[in-house]
Amino acid sequence: MADVSHDEYMAIAAAREINDGDTAFIGTGLPMVAAYLAKATHAPRVNLVFESGIIDPQPVDLATGVGDYRLAHGATKIAGTFYALSLLQQGVIDIGFLGTAEIDAYGNLNSTVIGPYSRPKVRLPGSGGANDIASMAKRFVVIARLDRKRFVEKLQYLTTPGFLTGPGAREAAGLPGAGPVRVISDRAVLGFDPVSKRMQVERLYPGATLEEVQAHVAFPLPAAPSLETEPVPDARLLRLLREVIDPDGVYVTRAKVDLGS
Amino acid sequence: MAGSPSKITPLAEAASAVANGASLTAGGFAHSHQPLAFTRELIRQGRSRLTLMSVAECWVAEFLAAASMLEKAYFSNFMFEGYGRCRCFSRAVEAGTIAVEDHSHFGMVSRFMAAGLGLPFMPMRAMAGTDILAVSGFEPAHEKAQQLHSPFGNGVVTAVSPLKPDVAVIHAAQADHLGNIKLFGTTSVIEEQARAADLVIVTVEEIVDTDVIRRQPEMTLLPALMVDMVVHLPYGAHPTGVYGYYDHDAPHLADYYAASATEAETAAWLDRWVYGLPDHWAYLDALTMSRLLRLRVDPALGYLREACHG
Repeated sequence: MADVSHDEYMAIAAAREINDGDTAFIGTGLPMVAAYLAKATHAPRVNLVFESGIIDPQPVDLATGVGDYRLAHGATKIAGTFYALSLLQQGVIDIGFLGTAEIDAYGNLNSTVIGPYSRPKVRLPGSGGANDIASMAKRFVVIARLDRKRFVEKLQYLTTPGFLTGPGAREAAGLPGAGPVRVISDRAVLGFDPVSKRMQVERLYPGATLEEVQAHVAFPLPAAPSLETEPVPDARLLRLLREVIDPDGVYVTRAKVDLGS
Repeated sequence: MAGSPSKITPLAEAASAVANGASLTAGGFAHSHQPLAFTRELIRQGRSRLTLMSVAECWVAEFLAAASMLEKAYFSNFMFEGYGRCRCFSRAVEAGTIAVEDHSHFGMVSRFMAAGLGLPFMPMRAMAGTDILAVSGFEPAHEKAQQLHSPFGNGVVTAVSPLKPDVAVIHAAQADHLGNIKLFGTTSVIEEQARAADLVIVTVEEIVDTDVIRRQPEMTLLPALMVDMVVHLPYGAHPTGVYGYYDHDAPHLADYYAASATEAETAAWLDRWVYGLPDHWAYLDALTMSRLLRLRVDPALGYLREACHG
């Protein structure tokens, strides 16, 4: 199915990271689409929490952000930001999703500055809830398109903790969550070596190669021993994505060119 | 409480309570319930060297930056959902005219909690191991947060210091003349901000009788003892929305965002929508009644079904 777009692969791969019965902390964009897709398919009992304070909503229209009132519809509780974030610290959030401007081999993220902190070349929005999710959710998933400027050897600012400097560093810092489990990119699904905690390629999308993936990443990115190919999404998933969840293509861009071209 | 003095205050008088050099925190989240009529009045009156203590009040930060009134910001995230970075704020940080001190959302809320609960610090579990704690902005790193071993021998926590704003400005749905406050939908960080601040100003869509408050006391977001001034400002959050009342004005937001691409266009936008209008009522007249009516929400949904994305 050559007309499946990078975004569609990413949304479907992200949805697969959610287990039925998980409590998931969700942000704007692809994670929202992935969460709705998971809830409509393999994870009907997923419980969604948003940093704006919305818990377990049943939206009938796709929200433009976590502060959008479309997201409040049918919620079982609406609270404040502190309440929602405190659920992370309590330890009841199983999974969170994050985007980023920069990511290193240990899954650490920068969403604060490009250039020096006090006088940056580009001032980015800042952590928001990202650091809280990465610090305290039981596990987290990063969604990021491959680019040598994004997948960097050294971050310009460490906003959000992955495995920090490597094995044992999160524990030493007192961070309760286990850290990143997956990086969903536009050409492959990446994971982390269980011993070294460094990033590796776990599943290539059809048509993508290891060399092509490495060419878009500035640090060495080996293949996992169990390297697989991402299955082509089935027609039912694509129909749900295109006709029900994001019918206007707000977050999930449709295919214009074939994968790998 | 017949005979209790009314806290209802004219907008211009309430805004005059924010002094040059004051620290300010504002309610709201993303395109929801930000106190923007108050912010416009503050800009009309003119202030300098303000400090923001903020979580996600992107529009307040952006407008104060656009008017060159902001000197420092303690904050966790300024971004326009669906649009992108706050351009005026970001440009000023890049130019070195606004100094910043970054946090996570939970870090900012925890600092408000420390101040609001009367504690010397608040223990928490995020931010450790990152540049948020390692790299100082305008505040020495050791005065912002420190690692602490629990006195009970059961773990390491991050202790953050209190942040106490001079003034909290909040937009809500309803208030009585005593200052009891209701807000429907998500309430962002309002409870923590109100408890932390020295002076609390609440602008509201409607003034209601105290009986309305007493009938459903569990719906009161802030009791009167937390509130110093109440300002009656229908559409006081425009162009952001108020749950149950009106949706955010997406075309107006898009217009501002486009204008914010350059300093000249931003200045022209401020002239048209802030400096060029004597008060909030003139602002509403300029928007036109038909536009305001079109933003009214479907009461069953709490939002406007027809509103286009972005």
